[in-house]
Amino acid sequence: MRIRDWTVQFSVLLLFGIGAYAAELRAPDHVKAGTTFTITSSGSGGGTFYLFGPASAVKRKVDSGSEIAVQSEEVEHAGRYTAVLCGSECTATHFYVQAADPERLSFLVHPSRVPVDDPNAMSAVALVFDQFHNLIQQPQSVTFSIIPKSGSAVTEERRSDQGIAWVRLSSGRREGPTKIAASVGKNDEEIRIVQQIASDACNLRMRPEWVSNKFFVETDPVRDCSGNNVPDGTVVSFTMTDSNGKTTVDVPIKKGIAKVEMPISGSARITVASGVVTGNELNVAGR
Amino acid sequence: MKARRKILGGIAVLAGLIVIAGIGSSPVVRAAEGIPQVELNADNLAPRPIEELTSKVVPRDYAHAWQTLAEALDGNRADLLNAYFTGLAKENFTSKIADQKRTGLHTHFVDHGHKLDGVFYAPAGDAMQLRDQARLEVQLLDGTKVVHSETLTQNYIVLMTPGADRWLVRDLEPVQGQQ
Repeated sequence: MRIRDWTVQFSVLLLFGIGAYAAELRAPDHVKAGTTFTITSSGSGGGTFYLFGPASAVKRKVDSGSEIAVQSEEVEHAGRYTAVLCGSECTATHFYVQAADPERLSFLVHPSRVPVDDPNAMSAVALVFDQFHNLIQQPQSVTFSIIPKSGSAVTEERRSDQGIAWVRLSSGRREGPTKIAASVGKNDEEIRIVQQIASDACNLRMRPEWVSNKFFVETDPVRDCSGNNVPDGTVVSFTMTDSNGKTTVDVPIKKGIAKVEMPISGSARITVASGVVTGNELNVAGR
Repeated sequence: MKARRKILGGIAVLAGLIVIAGIGSSPVVRAAEGIPQVELNADNLAPRPIEELTSKVVPRDYAHAWQTLAEALDGNRADLLNAYFTGLAKENFTSKIADQKRTGLHTHFVDHGHKLDGVFYAPAGDAMQLRDQARLEVQLLDGTKVVHSETLTQNYIVLMTPGADRWLVRDLEPVQGQQ
């Protein structure tokens, strides 16, 4: 009889304890980043509310049995959140915050210098984010553009996959800075500058010149196949073969041409090259 | 008789309080020693094929990142993030640690491993996106009091970029289920 009394007392106490302290929390399954909402709590008496998120941790006193307001700035980061309410006992619930609308891009373009007229020489990668820098995983339409210094822009559209859209781009035929842009929706474009530089020399030609009994060889203006000037500093190699053997002189292009004095005795054959490109040959005789 | 009943009643009250107190405070789980296990499946990685060395370095550095993250969130030490985190990931965890420090909270977890799936490897090799399925035991603490504990499988979308001598975690977002 006494044991039964004790058991009854203990059971009632246990049930009372659980009933009194197991406040329940209810949160929406999904919340859009940066929006205010409420978490409903049951139970009675005050408590401490915690909100653990991917980039935040919140702790504050609340009244149980009421709605707990979660401020927009407390849920700016997408991901899983755990809300906990502690009185004498703690109870928890989870919810996911989803990214807000697309607003900005993180934009990577490579390389920063590219030869002209090179197919698929550039790659552009755009990561789509909302205003809070949450990656937007739902497919979005991203517009890539090449905006040359002169002439009209060329655009290509790509759907993002898990937050990323990318495209390969070919360089144009004219040297100089070119803008590569990407945009999502009606938001501002992200722009990167790529310097298009002349490609390898094309139709490399040199001519002989005697000045005060000194022999010089001089190239015509060195251009690539699209007519762009090959940059100054690019090396042009002149090779002379005569009865003494072979002599090579490397000369950087200066003001668009390469020029060098070569001492000639007897007859000699001179060739010119720049990189893998060879030019014309000269057969000369000394004076 | 009455005295014995009073004593028994007192014992019952005490037992009840012990039970209730026990519900509210679970024992703190111990941190796993060493770095977590990370498996990388690069079969679906595109458009750039992964280099052999990169396929070894990425899971190694990702494992180190999680190891340092566990220490940083448990000890509220944002300085630990410098080694393997950069960009948004570093900013976000630094912000979380600042909040935890201010409120006396910390997050403790035991890492039971990660399954990484390569999703995207940029043509220039300067960014890699992966999906991670992590198995974690998490405890949320207010001082020494465990306010919540759970064991869960959590999916993450991960962005890693190469640094001077390692791959760094640039973005680490928890996502719901398979997408």
